[in-house]
Amino acid sequence: MTERSLDDLARRVSAARAEVEARGETFYPGPSRINLAAFPPKERWDNWVELDSRSFPKRIEKRYMLVPTTCFNCESACGLLAYIDKETLQVRKFEGNPEHPGSRGRNCAKGPATLNQVTDPDRILYPLRRTGARGEGKWVKVDWDEALDELAARIRKAITEDRHNEVMYHVGRPGEDGFTERVLATWGVDGHNSHTNVCSSGARAGYHFWTGIDRPSPDHANAKVIYLISSHLEAGHYFNPHAQRVMEAKQAGAKLIVLDVRLSNTATHADHWLSPYPGSEAAINLAIANHLIQNDLYDREFVRRWWNWKEYLASEHPELEERFEVFEPLLKELYKEFTFEFAAAESGVEVETLADVAAIVATAGTRLSTHNWRSAAAGNLGGWQVSRTLFLLSALLGAIATPGGTYPNAWNKFVPKPIYSPPHPLTWNELTWPLEYPLALNELSFLLPHFLREGRGKLDVYFTRAHNPVWTNPDGFSWIESLTDLDKVGLHVALTPTWNETAYFADYILPMGHSSERHDVHSYEQYDGQWIGFRQPVLKVARERLGESVADTREVNPGEVWEENQFWIELSWRIDPDGVLGIRRYYESEKSPGTKLSVDEYYGWMFENSVPGLPEKASAEGLSPLEYMRRYGAFEISKGVGRVHEQQVSPDELTGTAESRFGRVFATSVKPPSCNVVPQATPEPDQFGRRAVGVRIDGEVLRGFPTPSGRLEFFSTTLASWGWREHALPGYIRSHIHPAALSPQQMPLISTFRLPIQIHTRSANAKWLDEIAHSNPLWMHPVDAARFEIGSSDLVRVSTEIGHFVVKVWITEGIRPGVVACSHHMGRWKLTDQGQRQMMATVDLDNTDGRWGMKRRSGVEPYESADADTKRIWWTDVGVHQNLTFPVHPDPISGQHCWHQAVSVSKAEPGDSYGDIFVDTTKAHQVYLRWMELTRNALAVSPDQTRRPYWLMRPLKPAIEAFRLPKVRA
Amino acid sequence: MTSRAELFRALAFLCESPGSASLGLGATLGLSGEPEEHEHTEAFLFQLYPYASVYVGSEGMLGGEARDRVAGFWRALGLRPPAEPDHLAALLALYAGLIDRELDEPDEARRALRRQSRKALLWEHLLSWVPVFADRFRVVATPFYAGWADLLLDALIDEARTVGRQETLPLHLRTAPELLSPSEAPRSFLSGLLAPVRSGMILTRSDLSRAARDLDLGLRVGERRFVLESFLAQDADSTLAWLTREACRSAERHASYASELGGISLFWRERAEAAAALLSEGLSTGGAEVVDVTRRAG
Repeated sequence: MTERSLDDLARRVSAARAEVEARGETFYPGPSRINLAAFPPKERWDNWVELDSRSFPKRIEKRYMLVPTTCFNCESACGLLAYIDKETLQVRKFEGNPEHPGSRGRNCAKGPATLNQVTDPDRILYPLRRTGARGEGKWVKVDWDEALDELAARIRKAITEDRHNEVMYHVGRPGEDGFTERVLATWGVDGHNSHTNVCSSGARAGYHFWTGIDRPSPDHANAKVIYLISSHLEAGHYFNPHAQRVMEAKQAGAKLIVLDVRLSNTATHADHWLSPYPGSEAAINLAIANHLIQNDLYDREFVRRWWNWKEYLASEHPELEERFEVFEPLLKELYKEFTFEFAAAESGVEVETLADVAAIVATAGTRLSTHNWRSAAAGNLGGWQVSRTLFLLSALLGAIATPGGTYPNAWNKFVPKPIYSPPHPLTWNELTWPLEYPLALNELSFLLPHFLREGRGKLDVYFTRAHNPVWTNPDGFSWIESLTDLDKVGLHVALTPTWNETAYFADYILPMGHSSERHDVHSYEQYDGQWIGFRQPVLKVARERLGESVADTREVNPGEVWEENQFWIELSWRIDPDGVLGIRRYYESEKSPGTKLSVDEYYGWMFENSVPGLPEKASAEGLSPLEYMRRYGAFEISKGVGRVHEQQVSPDELTGTAESRFGRVFATSVKPPSCNVVPQATPEPDQFGRRAVGVRIDGEVLRGFPTPSGRLEFFSTTLASWGWREHALPGYIRSHIHPAALSPQQMPLISTFRLPIQIHTRSANAKWLDEIAHSNPLWMHPVDAARFEIGSSDLVRVSTEIGHFVVKVWITEGIRPGVVACSHHMGRWKLTDQGQRQMMATVDLDNTDGRWGMKRRSGVEPYESADADTKRIWWTDVGVHQNLTFPVHPDPISGQHCWHQAVSVSKAEPGDSYGDIFVDTTKAHQVYLRWMELTRNALAVSPDQTRRPYWLMRPLKPAIEAFRLPKVRA
Repeated sequence: MTSRAELFRALAFLCESPGSASLGLGATLGLSGEPEEHEHTEAFLFQLYPYASVYVGSEGMLGGEARDRVAGFWRALGLRPPAEPDHLAALLALYAGLIDRELDEPDEARRALRRQSRKALLWEHLLSWVPVFADRFRVVATPFYAGWADLLLDALIDEARTVGRQETLPLHLRTAPELLSPSEAPRSFLSGLLAPVRSGMILTRSDLSRAARDLDLGLRVGERRFVLESFLAQDADSTLAWLTREACRSAERHASYASELGGISLFWRERAEAAAALLSEGLSTGGAEVVDVTRRAG
């Protein structure tokens, strides 16, 4: 055959493939060796045939309908495909959704384990109301109407009596982009309370001070060098989508550098694993930065164009000329102290290793991807400087929004504008946003028990949702003390599908659906592109495909399990049934005024009007946008977003312009409408009310970054002007567990790390996961074990500032000597039979004047249930609840709880048993007070009589009027 | 220039058990007829197994060092080897992927590296055995699959021209043990005849059926070695003479690819000629002796 005819054949096949794929079908239907990702082709999702494994060796065909949804077991929001048995209309399994642009059909163990959660024999199926004392464990089944009416009446009363701040919604995993925040806005309350300050707010602060955007979006797949501060491959945000891209890059030759005190799964994949003394990570970052700076290895042009070095010079060296050539020597001077020797002394990592790693980073050019989310930023006093100094490396190399670099997340995320956008609340809630923390990016959620104890306020209606502060937060016994005090918390409503330690202290438990039983829309930055994912009740979709109509998810969910979207709509309607409060209008149908907005209309409107390209794509397949999302579960809006900051501002926007001395451009033009309402900072207008539209760079007006200067803020004018001038530059703050702060008996405890197969409270009673991981021994190096004369599996007592816990030891070389570690994913407990019997020990609590003790009555054991596997439970251990023994450590700037603990470890004492806990909450309050002394109150430092810089991001941002400092205190 | 990736992917797809998509693909490729499942089963499962290890492995069987070498190649590319790394479909799909990777690479130096990977896969793990396989396959298979084998052979040989000659003999062939004479190694002689890389020829079940017809021998049901032994027991001289002719014919077929495949063609030709020589030697010393020796070694 001639070469030409072979080419013709190749062309014909390519054309045939393009034609088939344009129809949305699969050209090489899998599973096969050709399609290495072997997924059922989407054109067969209505009738997918597999052999029934349970009938083996008989060949019995099972027919499935495949319906996509989104995993709710961590923030990654990976796509799932529910395999719904067409005979029984039950979900038989969950696998990956190949149409999901982020996860691309791949899942971790937690995704398929959704099935365990759906069929969990211990899950809560009906609304429950407390009958005994709070925490006594006596419940009665009630109907939804009763619960809704009581809630609506209380909330309405609070609103009409101007007690807005007594309504609070405290969320752990949101799993959605803004729905519930808007609900609170329609009520006019500043009642949003997130878990973020026990999670990622430290890292967020570091990114935000640089970019005006609080999350990174590293383009790992195209990186040449990947630099991670965490066990990101197995447990970070967004570990599965990111891990697969990190591995792609490694396969293409990228080098992976990992800073992790432990030999985590991530560290095992690293080309260079550094195990630094915890808290010294910023010192290492700075030493690498110093290497780049002193050796002129940084991208001068990028630094000149995009750093706000002029503002630095003007503020700190007003006597000097504002020229880049003047700045560069100063930059060298600023960082010269951060030598490899300095970093080695702080971190314990050898100078040669640090030099090797710095040399590799220097080769990355604009293809350096970096990431830190919790880990060191969440562990240490000043942890926010870990991410700020990490970003410094990217900013030095110009690896910002470049292929293989790191993007601000807002450019790789798409939050579709909803049908209604309520105004910002006019109130300010000091229980979540106290004056001591004007620069905190998130609510001081974990301090709530102390604020209530001090009488700063009280709560009339307190919702907890996918959050378990008694177990997750530090100082859980202080939480129990607050939650059992009816004067502090009038009504506690737990929105949860499963029992948890906080729900025991609720007045109502309202069961909400798992990931295949509810609606949500979300979008996360997982590569340089934008997508939305759609979580949906798969049985509703299945029945609708069969021609039925399902208006309420309770019709298809187990028991009376509901979904929050419908719950909030119904509750809001009942709060304002006649529309007098101005709330009801946000829940009325647009198509049929006067009737309630349905979930179908809400998302139908959103997909029709706010997702560019979706209507066209759906139409090409003869579907409505909502039908398209119901069929495929995800949609990619754009790919290759690129350098938004380099985009020229359109001349239409440049009307009535004015320019600041440093090139910030303001204009009188109206902000162009956008259907992407992704959160990012809002730089303040100039004194004449002109909005910030761009920044002048080398004569052009470019979009820039959403910071006050429009540039990357190497020098944070915000930190400088709000009382923290000494930390306005990327720098190093010694941790509260720095060796100099410890007594000779103390050592750091790393308590933050996750296990890849569990996820906080939510994965418990997922039997497949529980069987794999159900213990959290204390990691200890053999050198330390020998020092303490401790043998493998011995019991030890770990003492913190406020108490102690008793745990087993795991002696391993996978941890740095002189440091111990214990995963926080374990130690679940229950007081009675109510609870998750596969992963909760049964305990007794004892409280004498704030001196709390916990004793384990029994571990888990086999039990009879609807699931025969519960008789096969072979493990008894469920780990130890160490967080109870941690006092609060709020970072004075970011507000992040600094998780690392200074502990002393000793052999267990006579009478000690595994899992024992002791805590003195009086001491806990004293520690709280000590850390509060580190803060700088807005009343003292605010430069403009406001509570907080208006430009900073804030969940449920109040109206600008609410930012004014209270007059009585001022 | 048109990318050939999709052509190789299509050829890979057609190695798999046929489904509705194979019909359209066959038509697109201009193959005559329609692929039937039983034809696919007969060709790929009973006659010519599409695995590199069967043809370049020292024992002519699935797996072993040959498969490990192929798996090592996947790993060297930074890929996780699939469950059957040496299956023809997997190798062709991988080859298509390497073409794509090369063409998608903007950087010239990296593109050259990717070309090198493509060339290595072609010569080391495809051209080392697929021409021998395909040349037999087109004789054994029904028209649709014979057409597929023709096209595969054409496409691979054209690729050899595109990426250029590899001077070194593929490692599979460099390390392949020779066929030992029955007097030296009676235990392995018959199985060596059934190991293509030793004997230079492929003896399929249908070849043995043909031998039974040609020689008027009884065809006993069993694995190929058992069938061969039964032939030798019935009529050793005729069987050896028939095998000698098969070896000579194989040598001629291998020689016909000399201009395209160079050293590979020569290797296979020499192996077949050596087998023919050993078989002739056995014939000259009396076929019955060979039978006795092999039986005793049994």
